[in-house]
Amino acid sequence: MKKGILKLAIIIVGLNLLFMYIGLEFLPQSESRPPKVIKIEEGISQDDLIHVGEEIVFGKGQCMVCHPAKPEAGMRAPAMSTIGAETEKEAKERGIKPEEQVLEALVNPSKYIVKGFEDIMSPVHTAPTSLTDGEIIAVAAYLQSQGGKVTLSYPGSVPILKDQISKISKAGGK
Amino acid sequence: MAEAGVSKGILKGVIKFTAILGAGFILLAVFKKMLPLPTEDGYRFFPLIGSRDWIWIVAQLHLNFAAFVLGVPIFAVTMEYLGWRKKEERLDRIAYDFTKLFTLAYTVTAVLGSIFLVSLPLLYPKFIDYMMKILGPTWWLYLIVMYGEVFVCYYYFYSWKKMKDQKGLHVLLGVLLNVLGATLLLITSAWVGFMTTPAGVSPDGELLSRWAAIHTHMWIPLFLHRFVANIVFGAGIAAAYAAFRFITAKTPEEKAYYDWMGYTSAIISIGASLLLPGVGYLLGVEIYSFNEQMGIQLMGGFFAWLWVMQAIMIGAILFFINYYLWISLQKMPGGERYFKYVKFLFIVLLLGYAVWITPHDVALSLEEARRTGTYHPALGKLGVMAAKNTAVILSYLATFLSFAIFRMSNKEPTVSWAKTGHRARAIIIVVSAAGVLALGIYSYLVSAAVRVKVLSPIQFGLFFVGLAALYILDNYMYKGAKTIGEPRWGRMPERSQYALIAITVTFTWLMGMLGYMRAGARQYWHVYGIMKNTSPDAFLPTHGYASVVVTIVTLLFFVLISLVFWSIMKLEQVVEKRRGH
Repeated sequence: MKKGILKLAIIIVGLNLLFMYIGLEFLPQSESRPPKVIKIEEGISQDDLIHVGEEIVFGKGQCMVCHPAKPEAGMRAPAMSTIGAETEKEAKERGIKPEEQVLEALVNPSKYIVKGFEDIMSPVHTAPTSLTDGEIIAVAAYLQSQGGKVTLSYPGSVPILKDQISKISKAGGK
Repeated sequence: MAEAGVSKGILKGVIKFTAILGAGFILLAVFKKMLPLPTEDGYRFFPLIGSRDWIWIVAQLHLNFAAFVLGVPIFAVTMEYLGWRKKEERLDRIAYDFTKLFTLAYTVTAVLGSIFLVSLPLLYPKFIDYMMKILGPTWWLYLIVMYGEVFVCYYYFYSWKKMKDQKGLHVLLGVLLNVLGATLLLITSAWVGFMTTPAGVSPDGELLSRWAAIHTHMWIPLFLHRFVANIVFGAGIAAAYAAFRFITAKTPEEKAYYDWMGYTSAIISIGASLLLPGVGYLLGVEIYSFNEQMGIQLMGGFFAWLWVMQAIMIGAILFFINYYLWISLQKMPGGERYFKYVKFLFIVLLLGYAVWITPHDVALSLEEARRTGTYHPALGKLGVMAAKNTAVILSYLATFLSFAIFRMSNKEPTVSWAKTGHRARAIIIVVSAAGVLALGIYSYLVSAAVRVKVLSPIQFGLFFVGLAALYILDNYMYKGAKTIGEPRWGRMPERSQYALIAITVTFTWLMGMLGYMRAGARQYWHVYGIMKNTSPDAFLPTHGYASVVVTIVTLLFFVLISLVFWSIMKLEQVVEKRRGH
């Protein structure tokens, strides 16, 4: 009987240690820390703005959670590599400026849904993403750079961004 | 304990709970006076291990015991009802044994709950003040329902023998106990639902509608998921108890009884677990509809590798239960006829396991994300939902077949259409397996929305239809069947009981890990998008760190539950001694 109980104890402890070992040794070890606000200098060059935008897209913006890098079957959201060109085309079809189209897609994503996709994106200027004005413009510049012409600058494009945000409150948006 | 009178037993129970709860409130008031004021942003710090880990350990331990004491009464009362209707003494005995288990575990649950009650407002005062502002009335309702639950629980237990001639009334008491338990679960699920998928408040956290704050996206699906998981977990612990008693049993009668109890509990546990993917799916749908980003982050972002871990563990559980059932064939006269099928079932399980634990590619750096894209170039096709769903369902189908084989292995059908029945059995298995496989392959060709919202439910539906068809067919075909011999309960090698224990250990660890993931979905928010966590602990630790904490919780839980098992044995000895005198 005592031997049986000892074996039971060994199984309980052994399995626990095995699971802990898998967790420690076989799974990737990284922490997920709250994002920090990225300081963007006024008058930042376009190349630097795009670079900062790329960092946000692949990092604190968590855009890659839904958007694949390249087009693939069954994707949830438009692919990054062609998003600039697509945005330009959509802006033309709707008769608005490309920068309005790309900023609207970030702060009021429910307004225009690309054909074949669902209304799943949350605005990036409110919680939980909570990007600052500069960060949003940097992301938009990076998106434009993916196959399109970059027309945004910081702080030059802030009024267009503010205009898009004010349109949401007027319309009682999402 | 079992020998006390009904009113005396209830009174003892209520006094004990009041004392535990009262001690909690007194300690809370004393510590509030003694400890320094919280920081400006509303935190106090627990020494050595930090506030987060302390709350993590206490909350998960409390949750484990709560799951146990809420889950076991569901099948205790079911067994009591069946025993009463079928006039089977053995079913009444198992129901009573289950009741003994959860009644004793109530005390440990209350003590842990009280520690939690003291710790949370002391360490996170601002957060608790906010929760009380939004959902305060539900907390007082919780206390009232908890008292009702304690009263009915002790009444149910202590009146077992006294009400043996009023079984209908006693079963009703058991039903009431479960209604109260489910209400407690509903209330606590509302709290977690609000923290994760808040509603009914303005963007700056002001209360707009209390009902909306209760009735969040997550509320009902979380309640359903916990309700089913509690049955799975409770039955798992009961199986572990039976295994422990089997190993320590001194007589063949005891061995036979606990062997049967272990089998019954394990089948309830695994049977109920079949519902978990379905209710988990509902929960997932609600999380996605609240915030797609949270859903994807949970399923494919930071936590993606923990789903692989989950696959490792559920796959292991399926192996343990199949192993147990295959060994069990030895005690069935005629069981040896089915040994030849075991290797095929093993192959299906192995292949299913291999696909299930194949990870989706998870890029951990900007560089890696650029290089590999969303899916791994070689294994990506197996690491996606289309393949995994198919693998999981086929593994469960193989497990059901192991169970069906065991159940019928000592019988020989006598109906005239037995041959056709056997053929129909094979057709049902092949059609449902092929259908699940075909739908899985087709899933690759459609959009994510169609795959998740249409094809996955059809796959699970097909699996359940197949299961129901097999079950109904077997029941008709084996009605009045010739019995080759009665099961030789108790004649099981000890290693079969280790499989039962392994199932429970794995379930407990898994529960701890999934609890962490559910809480982690909020990332650095106390209330997602509404109240930020600004403490030094506002980050998700590495998976290795989380594994260490979950291991500590699981080991502590087994130490405590072993004490409950040991206490029951000691109490039984005392009762036996008294009877002897």
